[in-house]
Amino acid sequence: MQLNIVVAGVGGQGSVLASHIIAEAAINQGISVRVGETFGAAMRGGAVASHVRIGNVSSPLVQKHKAHIILALEPLEGLRVGLEFLAPEGVAILNTRPIPPVDVFVGKFVYPEIKKIIQALEAIGKNVHAFDATQLAIEAGNTRTLNSVILGALSAVKVWPFPSQVLEEAIIARVPAQTKEVNLRAFNLGKMKMENLDGK
Amino acid sequence: MSAITLDSIGKRILMMGNEAIARGALEGNVRLAAAYPGTPSSEILESLLEASKTFELYVEWSINEKIAFELAFGASLVGARSVVAMKNAGFNWVMDPFMTVSYTGCRAGMLIVVADDPGAHYSSNEQDTRVGAVYNKLICFEPSSQEEALEMARESFSVSESLELPILLRSVTRLSHASGDVTLGRLPPIKDERFHGFNKHWKLPYRWNVYGPPGAVQKHRWLLSRKNLIAEYTENSRFNEFEKGEFPLGIVCSGIGAAYCDEALQNLELVGKVQFLRLGIAHPLPWRKAKEFLQSSRKVLVIEEGDPVVESQLRRFAQAESQEVFIFGKENQILPPFGEINMDLVEEALIKVFPEIIPAKKVVSILENPLSKGLVVPRSSTLCAGCPHLGSYWGLKKAIQSQKELTIVNGDIGCYEQGGYGLFSQSDFSSQDEHKRYPIQSPYTILDTLYVMGSGISLAQGMSHSGYPGKCIAVCGDSTFFHAVLPALANAVMNQADITLLVLDNRWTAMTGHQPSPTTSPDYLDNSIKKLSIFDIVRALGVKKIFLVNAYHPLEVQEALEKAFDFKGPSVVIAEGECMLQVIRRTKRKWMGTKVTAACTGCRTCLQLGCPAIVFQKNKALIDPLQCIDCGLCMQVCPVNAIDGGNLCN
Repeated sequence: MQLNIVVAGVGGQGSVLASHIIAEAAINQGISVRVGETFGAAMRGGAVASHVRIGNVSSPLVQKHKAHIILALEPLEGLRVGLEFLAPEGVAILNTRPIPPVDVFVGKFVYPEIKKIIQALEAIGKNVHAFDATQLAIEAGNTRTLNSVILGALSAVKVWPFPSQVLEEAIIARVPAQTKEVNLRAFNLGKMKMENLDGK
Repeated sequence: MSAITLDSIGKRILMMGNEAIARGALEGNVRLAAAYPGTPSSEILESLLEASKTFELYVEWSINEKIAFELAFGASLVGARSVVAMKNAGFNWVMDPFMTVSYTGCRAGMLIVVADDPGAHYSSNEQDTRVGAVYNKLICFEPSSQEEALEMARESFSVSESLELPILLRSVTRLSHASGDVTLGRLPPIKDERFHGFNKHWKLPYRWNVYGPPGAVQKHRWLLSRKNLIAEYTENSRFNEFEKGEFPLGIVCSGIGAAYCDEALQNLELVGKVQFLRLGIAHPLPWRKAKEFLQSSRKVLVIEEGDPVVESQLRRFAQAESQEVFIFGKENQILPPFGEINMDLVEEALIKVFPEIIPAKKVVSILENPLSKGLVVPRSSTLCAGCPHLGSYWGLKKAIQSQKELTIVNGDIGCYEQGGYGLFSQSDFSSQDEHKRYPIQSPYTILDTLYVMGSGISLAQGMSHSGYPGKCIAVCGDSTFFHAVLPALANAVMNQADITLLVLDNRWTAMTGHQPSPTTSPDYLDNSIKKLSIFDIVRALGVKKIFLVNAYHPLEVQEALEKAFDFKGPSVVIAEGECMLQVIRRTKRKWMGTKVTAACTGCRTCLQLGCPAIVFQKNKALIDPLQCIDCGLCMQVCPVNAIDGGNLCN
C-alpha cells in the first residue's frame, strides 16, 4: 500500500499538526509513515506544505504529480501545491477562504479568482471539492479547528483507507483536552460536508 | 509526557529527525549537551532540554558553536558522554578545536551532530560537512531515516569510546525536519552511574595536551594509527549493507540518498537486479565490501546528498585497485552537484545510467495547463507585524538618505537578514554604475552585503580602511553580537575603524525559534532584567560614541545614527525593542483598534514600512486587525497623520 497526501496552508493554520495527526493515525494502524515539510524561512504567515506518505515508503517527499490527496487549508496554497503534486486521478479538498499574501497587499500581484483556482486544479485531477471550511470551523465554535474540518473531510474521501474513527482518535490524542469537543464537532462538519460532495 | 522521555521499549511512534537524534543520544546515556541554535538543527538541543527535566543531564544554549563544542569535549575528558549539535555553517566555527582534538582523541563518547542544508532552505550555503570527517580522518554516520538516526546516535557513544575518537553524525534538512516512525529503546538511569575522573596521562603521556610530549606530529601519527580499528568497525557495521544482484551493474547510496534510492528501485522494478551497496557510514568506506561490490559491477551510480564525498572515495579506491568500472554521479553531472536531490532526479539518473535493464517507462505527460498560467502568486516572507526591526530599519533608511556620500550597509544573520532578501523591489537589478544610489523601497532592500555570522562589521572595517568615502555601516542582532561581533568590535576600537554598528537588540535568538540570548531576561514575566548589557559591554570596550534608543521610535533611531555617522571612529547605536512575538505570547495582547482614517491620501508611505499588517485596497491603506498589535510605527511614519489608535510600544 502507498498513499501520498500533501497538506498545504499558511503558517499558523495548523497544517503541520494536521499532517502529524494523519501520520499518527496510520502508525496506530501499524503502518509505516514519512512526513516531510517544505516551508521557506518565514517565521509566520509563509507557505507551508506537509507531505504525508503512508505505507511502503522511504522518501520524505511526494514525487511530482503523485499525490493521491491534496488538503488545502488555503486556496492559493492549494493551487501552488496542486499544480506541482496533484496526481491525474487525485482528490483535492480545497478551503475556499483566502489569506492573501503580502505580495498582493502591496499591489505587486493579484490574488487569483477562486473559480480559476478550481478550474486549474480540475484540469489536473478530476476530483476537486471546494467549500468554505473556515465557515464550518466557525460554526463548530472556533476558527482554529479548521484543520479538524479538513481532517473530517479527508475521513470521508473514498481513497482514505481507514475508518474515520482512526482520525478522530488521533485528533483526541493530540489536541488539548478542553478543545476536544469543538475539534470533534469541526471534524464531523467536515465529514458531513464531504459525504454530501463525494461520500464513501 | 513528551516523546523524548517516553518510557516504553519497543513502542513505535512518530518522531522528527532531530527528536530521534536527541532520543538516541539520551538512550546512549548522554550527560552533557550543548549547541548554538541554527535551523535545521535546533530541535536536537530543545528535545534534550526537555529530557533534562527528568534526567541528570546538563544542557545549555552556548554563545557560539565553538564554545558548545569545547564544552562537550571537556565533558568527555572527565568521563561524561556528550553531544554537540549545530547547523552546517556552525560547523565552520568549530573547525579549530575539531581539527585538533582528534590528535589526542576523547575519553567518554562524544557525538558531533551537524545538520546540513542542501537546497539552502535556511542557510547561506550548501556545504557538505561530511568533508570534515575526511579532512579529520574520523567516522561519519549518515542516517537514511529517523529510525536509523536514533540508532546511530545511540550507538555512537560506544563506538566513540572503543575508537577513542569523536563521531560525526551528518543529517540533512530532509531528515532533521522530516518525521517518521521510530522504535523506542531503553532509557538510561536518571543519574549517570559511570566512572567520572580525570587522568592526565590516560593510556598515553600528556594525553590531553597536543603540545605535550611526544608532540603534535606524534599525536597526528596516533590518529593515523586508529585507521585499522576504524576500518574494522565500518566493515562490520550493520549500517553498511551489500546486496548482490543479477546484473554487473551497481548502485551505491549513502544517507538520505538511500531513502530515495530504495523507493526508486521499487518504482523501476530493479530490486534484486543490481548490485546494491547501502552505506550508513559515509566515511571511511567499508573497503572489503566496496571491493566485492566493484568487482561485481561494470557500471556504478553513486547517489548521495551534497558533494561527491562517497563518489570520490570510490573513484580513488577503484583506481588504487585497478578496477575497470565506470562510475557515475555528481562529478560527471549525472546528478546535479548543487541543490537537493529527490526521487525524480534519482529516477532520471537511474534511467540514464542503466538503460539496458530499465523498461522503457511510459513518459508521464507533463501536465501542461493553460488554465494555470500566471495564476500562482508568491507568498513572500516578511518581518512580523509590529517587529521592532521595522522601526530600526525605518530610522536607518532615513539616516542613510540624509548622507551626501553613498553609504554601505553590511548585514548579518538573524531575522533582520530579511533586509537583504529584496522583496517587493522594483528597480532594475544590473548596473555598472559604481556611484548609483539605489532606492530603498522597503526594509527588504536595505542591506547591501550579507554573508555569515559576524561578517558585516568586519567587512565594514575593510571598506572603511580602504578609503571608501561614504559611511560604512553594519547591523547585527543581540545573539549575533555575542556569537561573532564582539571580537570584531574590539578590533574596530583597537584599529580605530571609522564605522557605525547598529545593534538590533530584540532580547531573543528569534529566527531559530526564540532560544534565550545573553540579553534575554532570566525571568520570563519581567523583561526589565538582562543577564548582560550590550551598552555596558560596548562602553567597556572603549567605544566613544554610543547611543541607546527605542526601536519603536524611528525618529530617535534616525537621529542617533546621523550623529554616529558624523563621528570619526567606531560608533555604536543600540536599538532596543523586544521581539513582538514574545511580547504577544507573554501579554496575550490583541489588536486594540489602530485604524486608517478618511484623511488617507493613498500615498503608500506606510507600505514602505514593510509591516505585513498594513494592506492597500482601493487606493487607501488599511490595517489588518488580525495581525496589527498597535505598535504605533505606522502612525509615526504617516505624513498626513491619517492613522489613529494605539501606540503601545512607547
